[in-house]
Amino acid sequence: MAADGSLAMNGGTGMRSGRANSMQRFARRRSTIAFVMTLPLLAIIVGLVAYPAAYAIYLSTLNRRMTEFAGTLNFELLFESDTFWAVAFQSCFFAITAVLLKALLGFWLAHMLHHIPDKGQRKWRGMLLVPWVIPPALSTLGWWWMFDPSYSSINWLLAIVSVPEVPWLGHHWWARIAIIMVNVWIGAPFFMIMYLAALKSVPEQLYEAAAIDGASSWQRLRYVTLPMMANIISITVLFSLIVTFANYDIVRVLTNGGPRDLTHVFASYAFQVGILSGNIPRGAAVSLFMFPILAICAFFVLRSVTRRNKEQM
Amino acid sequence: MSATAANRDAPGIYHKAGSLRAERRWALWTAYASLGVAAIIFLAPPFYMLITSLKTSGEIANMTGNPWLVRDPTLENYEAIVFNPMFQRFMLNSIIITASVVALTMVISILAAFALARMRFWGSQVLATGVFLTYLVPDTLLFIPLYQIVGGLGLLNSIWGLILVYPTLTVPFCTWIMIGYFASIPKELDEAALIDGASWPQMLIKIFIPVALPGIIAATIFAFTVSWAAFVYPTAFVTTPDQMPLTIGVVSQLVRADTFAWGQIMAGALMAALPPVVIYAFLMDYYIAGLTAGATKG
Amino acid sequence: MSKHGITRRNVMRNGAGVLAATAVGAPMVHAQGTGGTIRCGFWDHWVPAGNGILRELCAEWGQRNRVEVNIDFITSVGNQNLLTIAAQAQSRSGHDLLSFPTWEPASKAELLEPVDDVMGRLIQKYGAVTPAAEYLGKIRGKWVAIPAVSGTQMKPACVRFDLMQQHAGIDIRAMWPAENRQGPGADTWNWNTFLTAAEKCHAAGFPFGMPMGSFTDAVDTVGAIFASFGAFMMDERGNPTVRGNAKLRTAVEYMVRLSRFLPNDVWAWDDASNNRALISGRSALIFNPPSAWAVAKRDAPQVSQNCWTVPMPAGPEGRFVPYLPYFWGIWSFSRQKPAAKGLLEFLSERPQAERQTTTSNGYDIPPFASMSDFSIWATEGPPTGTVFNYPLKAHHNARTSVAMAPAPAEFAVQAYTQALNTKVVARVVQGGETIDQALTWLERELTNIRRGG
Repeated sequence: MAADGSLAMNGGTGMRSGRANSMQRFARRRSTIAFVMTLPLLAIIVGLVAYPAAYAIYLSTLNRRMTEFAGTLNFELLFESDTFWAVAFQSCFFAITAVLLKALLGFWLAHMLHHIPDKGQRKWRGMLLVPWVIPPALSTLGWWWMFDPSYSSINWLLAIVSVPEVPWLGHHWWARIAIIMVNVWIGAPFFMIMYLAALKSVPEQLYEAAAIDGASSWQRLRYVTLPMMANIISITVLFSLIVTFANYDIVRVLTNGGPRDLTHVFASYAFQVGILSGNIPRGAAVSLFMFPILAICAFFVLRSVTRRNKEQM
Repeated sequence: MSATAANRDAPGIYHKAGSLRAERRWALWTAYASLGVAAIIFLAPPFYMLITSLKTSGEIANMTGNPWLVRDPTLENYEAIVFNPMFQRFMLNSIIITASVVALTMVISILAAFALARMRFWGSQVLATGVFLTYLVPDTLLFIPLYQIVGGLGLLNSIWGLILVYPTLTVPFCTWIMIGYFASIPKELDEAALIDGASWPQMLIKIFIPVALPGIIAATIFAFTVSWAAFVYPTAFVTTPDQMPLTIGVVSQLVRADTFAWGQIMAGALMAALPPVVIYAFLMDYYIAGLTAGATKG
Repeated sequence: MSKHGITRRNVMRNGAGVLAATAVGAPMVHAQGTGGTIRCGFWDHWVPAGNGILRELCAEWGQRNRVEVNIDFITSVGNQNLLTIAAQAQSRSGHDLLSFPTWEPASKAELLEPVDDVMGRLIQKYGAVTPAAEYLGKIRGKWVAIPAVSGTQMKPACVRFDLMQQHAGIDIRAMWPAENRQGPGADTWNWNTFLTAAEKCHAAGFPFGMPMGSFTDAVDTVGAIFASFGAFMMDERGNPTVRGNAKLRTAVEYMVRLSRFLPNDVWAWDDASNNRALISGRSALIFNPPSAWAVAKRDAPQVSQNCWTVPMPAGPEGRFVPYLPYFWGIWSFSRQKPAAKGLLEFLSERPQAERQTTTSNGYDIPPFASMSDFSIWATEGPPTGTVFNYPLKAHHNARTSVAMAPAPAEFAVQAYTQALNTKVVARVVQGGETIDQALTWLERELTNIRRGG
């Protein structure tokens, strides 16, 4: 409001000071107005995010029928069950592998897109983003049909090059791979778009300078591109880690956790236990395990974003 | 540059330029090859869904021949789906839900973003960070307590329950990118407007919304795609077909265990995926702007 | 939307003539006077025509009794029906009556309206109910739900008799002809014979399509096999009976041997995968109700012409058929209890039961033993008589089996949804554990279920 104040001082005529007064009234009133304007947002954050989060903790301390307090029984029982540890392993394995692959594939494709002439880029970009646009539950349905044990069209293709039939969803390692494949298929285009935008923002002069210094293409990548993109890479990777870690729809549609619960991730297992088997407190306990990992990721995302905003300013 | 210097450097530069050109050509070929392979892989599943949706059940069950080709294309699956009252209901539910959620989201987030971007007040900084953190909370973290809460409100198995909870998925991100867009509008504009005696609402409607229109379109597209594709909440909160939106409707109702309706399932899935794809096709630049604006979920 | 309404105007138009016919239906509805709406959530039938007949029957009853009947069909794919039951129990609202699978009536018993009056009348008319249905539906001496016709199924063996003859040398049709008698060699139809046949058909490239995942087909079938070995995991009081249980061990060992001759991805099969295996012509035998055959008749007639449904093989402790009953239960929070009871009684009566069974190609099994003589089972084909032996007949010498019995319902339902019986086998065959390790795991899971309450 420095500008407003100086305006009023310079003016000094009756009319001007009148306006300044009204502006001051504005200033006083506006924090109230602003608060009112953010009320609906506050209601959502408090009522539908913060309160449920606290409620989840309370729920996780109840017994199965939610009739009495059970302390940490739900957590103890989870720790004792093999299935839970398998779920924890699979969640981490799935999230880390899928995110790494998505990031690498996205980076490679973004680079390739960046290399071709500008006028072709739009067309290619349009095509390559399609997996990201289709609602994941629906495209996973298509994948499911491609993995079907009796009618798999992927196995049909593999048979042409005489690869034996793959039990895509039947063996737990194959099923894990299948889930990762679908997740990478859906998510890689997003990385590609993000990295492409970042690549375009690297000033061309830097590359020219590097070329004059006789840098090889690897060196240019290593010393120019990567440092310039480091921030956006870390943001996208962390973001994706959160979302992939909490993924539900692919597992639900593709394997429903099978075989032998070995492809369950936290979200789908929480659903299985909490809602399907009607053990809401245990389900709440399972989903709470996602929280620390997500919180750590969120912390780093926030830090990178703030840093990025500062850089841009 | 002196002539001698030029002479001395010339061979080196030419040599380098020649290898550069070869390297460029080579790089271009690699680029096209990788993009081509990626495009085939990325488009194969939707293509196969399309092929399957054009087959009769008999042809799908027939194991001989190439599954990637269709011998007698038929539209009977699409016909069955389009005239299936259940599917029509899914579509209607999806439209009602998405329209309400998008409208709610845009109103809430434009108001809040305007307040947060322009009117600093006590706690506004904390709230802005809070918005971002909320955006990072995935839907799978809270669906169990929300199941209890929505159930307590008597809104389980109702599209209104979904309309209540979907904004948790859309509002934070939309607010976040709107803050960014509003903050980039020069302060001089609103000062000028204030001097002309404009009130805050007038300022918002006459200046901010028109100037930030691209951002608003991008946010609207985001809200639309998210609520159209939402899966966890409807799976948990809606159980009967008459209240289901398309995503869960297609996945849970069209997949009929013992009978063989793959043609219809694929036709249904493709039709359900059509609205976001159409929007994407026509508004690709806004779509991508929305994606890159705030580092969305991936 | 799969709602079906009888509009008031229609009812008016049909007028008094219809009212005269009401006497058959439900005596209690008269007290209600006119109208009201019953909202029903029936199981979404796997035989395409199965939903239509329920709609038709409800419409008939609704017109006679001037009650509007709204119907939703709720699929069991992706456990949608369990979700629905859980959600309605949680919010104490929803339909007036629902279809409940196997263990659900028992686990929701306190929220269900007792139906002893209806069951009393039905039993008086048609005789006793199959013991398994009584065990699941009659909780602490009270009927909490009515064993349903529509959806209730057996899962005996559906055999490709041509492949069985060719590769295993067993003439299954001679063994189990479409008559009320055992054929020559029926006494050799036991799990050992079955294992040899499985091995031979597997070697010939037509493995038996037996799912081993966590869906009902798998859990029910393995449950029946366990039962025929006398192998049970938990007793009536909820104590795990795993340690030192020689019969359980034998049963698991048998399943382990059998699994080696199944397709390598059966561990992830769902309830439809076995049907697809049969319909695609790649499997010589599956355990399933006639729906697989019915779909094959439509999509792959050359397969369906070679199918023959026969009873389960026998084990050391007898012959057990996998049984997946559905129950029609009325929520205690329903405001239409008398009308709902009337409708359910109507649907359970012999003429209506026969119409359900007939329309579903013989799929639906009525709960009364006296109704196992519907003509559809003898006439359905081609080949004629293919489902003659689908319902339980006296000459089969068989009993129905419910997986996880005799455990108390609140524990059994958890063991059932977690598919503990197939998983214990899977841990050995697919997970490479020893049988001891797998059994230790099983005992721990059962103890956890018990501790969790």
